[in-house]
Amino acid sequence: MSSQTPLPPDRATPPSMPRWVKVFGIILLMLVIVVIILHLTGNNLGGHIPHMP
Amino acid sequence: MTPGIRKFVRTAHITFTVGWLGAVAGFLALAIAGLTSKEAQTVRAAYIAMELITRFVLVPLSFIPLLLTGPLLSLGTPWGLFRHYWIMAKLVINILSTLILLLHMQPISYLAQVATEGTLSSADVSLQVQMVVASGAALLALLLATGLAVYKPRGMTPYGWRKQYEEHSAPSSADVST
Repeated sequence: MSSQTPLPPDRATPPSMPRWVKVFGIILLMLVIVVIILHLTGNNLGGHIPHMP
Repeated sequence: MTPGIRKFVRTAHITFTVGWLGAVAGFLALAIAGLTSKEAQTVRAAYIAMELITRFVLVPLSFIPLLLTGPLLSLGTPWGLFRHYWIMAKLVINILSTLILLLHMQPISYLAQVATEGTLSSADVSLQVQMVVASGAALLALLLATGLAVYKPRGMTPYGWRKQYEEHSAPSSADVST
């Protein structure tokens, strides 16, 4: 949201993935697994509408 | 993109994303009121308001930054859309938040309809809890996205690194012309 511009790369090899990205990815994967488990056990999002007219 | 247009798009993007955050906070307050209030009128009003907020505030505020201002701001500046991990993380958060919102459209309409016609029964409690949990999770996700936009944690994707390396190693147009 600021007017900063990205810094140019100064190395000949791509940098490794930062730790925060790995943590973010693991949390995201866990959330997806939880949603899939909820779906398989019948607790999926919007799946408990008793009687839609 | 000229500096003037860039500033305008950035202002629009901040307005829509922060507005989305505020609307989700309002939705969460109504979802908690709908779940915990003993007053039938309060419960009824909460779910009717939640449907209106979803349809006329949350959906437009989620789609505009995701489909318009976000891509414009990313692709129209040197930041790019797939060059930095924090931008990709924000994109994933916004896509998932919008998807979860769309998945909840039907349950929200159902709760509003039942609240309009009569009183919610004990069978609806799981849906009422789901509204609180989903909007609470969405609020946390959007706060995280705001934090990412402000702090811009370091980390360039291999694609971003390659593109910038190519741009900096290639001769500029001024060098070519002289």
